[in-house]
Amino acid sequence: MEFQGMTRRDFIKTVGITTAMAATGTIPSALYASERKLVAYPEKAELLLLTSRPPQLETPLQYFRELVTPNEALFVRWHLANIPTSVDLDTWRLRIHGNVAKQLSLSLDNLKKFEKVGYTAVIQCAGNGRSFFDPPVFGGQWLNGAMGNCTWGGVRLKDVLKSAGIKAGSTEVFFRGLDTAVLPTTPNFMKSLPLDKAQEDDIIIAYEMNGRELPMLNGFPVRLVVPGWYASYWVKSLSDIEVSVKPSSSFWMKTAYRIPDNPCGCVEPGTVPKKSVPINRMTTRSLMINPEDGTRLNSGQAIELMGLAFSGGYSIKEVLVSVDNGMSWQPARLGKDLGRYSWIQWFYPWQPVKAGNYRILVKATNSIGESQPFDGLWNPSGYLLNKVEKYNLTVG
Amino acid sequence: MKIKLLLLAGASIVCAAVAIAAEKGSTKEGSKRSISLPAPSVFLKDGPGMDETRRYCGICHSLDYITTQQKFPKAKWQGVVNKMIKTYGAPIPDKDAKIIVDYISTNYGSGK
Repeated sequence: MEFQGMTRRDFIKTVGITTAMAATGTIPSALYASERKLVAYPEKAELLLLTSRPPQLETPLQYFRELVTPNEALFVRWHLANIPTSVDLDTWRLRIHGNVAKQLSLSLDNLKKFEKVGYTAVIQCAGNGRSFFDPPVFGGQWLNGAMGNCTWGGVRLKDVLKSAGIKAGSTEVFFRGLDTAVLPTTPNFMKSLPLDKAQEDDIIIAYEMNGRELPMLNGFPVRLVVPGWYASYWVKSLSDIEVSVKPSSSFWMKTAYRIPDNPCGCVEPGTVPKKSVPINRMTTRSLMINPEDGTRLNSGQAIELMGLAFSGGYSIKEVLVSVDNGMSWQPARLGKDLGRYSWIQWFYPWQPVKAGNYRILVKATNSIGESQPFDGLWNPSGYLLNKVEKYNLTVG
Repeated sequence: MKIKLLLLAGASIVCAAVAIAAEKGSTKEGSKRSISLPAPSVFLKDGPGMDETRRYCGICHSLDYITTQQKFPKAKWQGVVNKMIKTYGAPIPDKDAKIIVDYISTNYGSGK
């Protein structure tokens, strides 16, 4: 019954974006009617609104023309409605406790005394692209904008854990943030990592994103960064690290964020896996960003197709492009390499002379041979989407 | 000398601006940084059960959690409402849960 807060400008934007998407076929028909408007949340650019409480916002694809995603444009995804909206660094502490020799309570200044490290890494929601699952699955109906590529700066988790002194018998490390559930009956968000994984060199407690403080909605003042793994582990507004003897029994590890326990992480559509494991490393993906799906080009016009490719922590070795719906494939030129956790841009010069409809396909392979399936693999939660993307361009 | 003074004046204006806003859209008072979230405004179709849906589902989340879903059959929505009660502890009495499932599947479901 309410229709507040939608100005004429908002309305025009909503219509504009849904019309453009409907015309290009980038969103399923079921989503046309829903309100996918562009809204600017605090410290953020205008992003596509999925839900408002807790906020879930996705990045319009045009931002991915840049190698590094600006802080303002990175997607937002919270699980529970009581999210931190105010942090006082005088009183904020990161607590390290549990099966450790010495409990720590670190201020941000204390934390910054550990050696600073950093790298560029893709952050991607486990359910990115969920709206493209066929048959559809329940959950946040993300398009492909629940991802980004940012440069993270912070301190090694293992250095902090070492300073606390991990005691014998520990098996997992639990991570909790400042966000809490509305009801005491709802399990508070947490994620855990096996002890060996938690002690890998590249896992950091990040206090910088692209050289600046993190936006509040992206986890100010610090968040965990687990490069190569899905963002569910990148606990935002991290405030509590617990070294545990027993593995976590939390809903967020035992029930949520699980994938079928087999090499493809998939099952027959509509079925339930016999056995599942916690989601972990990202699958290999590639997307075309420019021109946008559905663009009309002039015959004889020389253009350069561009896009991005990434995988779960292994460099992209090759991106193949087909401009004839998969009949023939040519390698794309790869752009600047920012390391194995970053996405890489690809470029493919093209000058179509014959008028008609063209279907462009893109397929990436990483350095350990992981690639993309042609048809979408399916699992009940809508995770791991990495099918070969198909784009329609019209010439003439 | 004149140029230097102008530069200094310029720099102090920049510093003042930084002290007020850490990032566009947030405020900073001393060591404290804060943002203020916009209030949710979601349109729900009128119909029997809309009030119950708004009242109970809205305790924990905005109603765009319903409106942005794809069109699912009633059995799926029944499962989702059960999950909200059993897993997330939503305090929805049985009779209202039935009303909510009916409302959502009628207005936002696949019609199956």
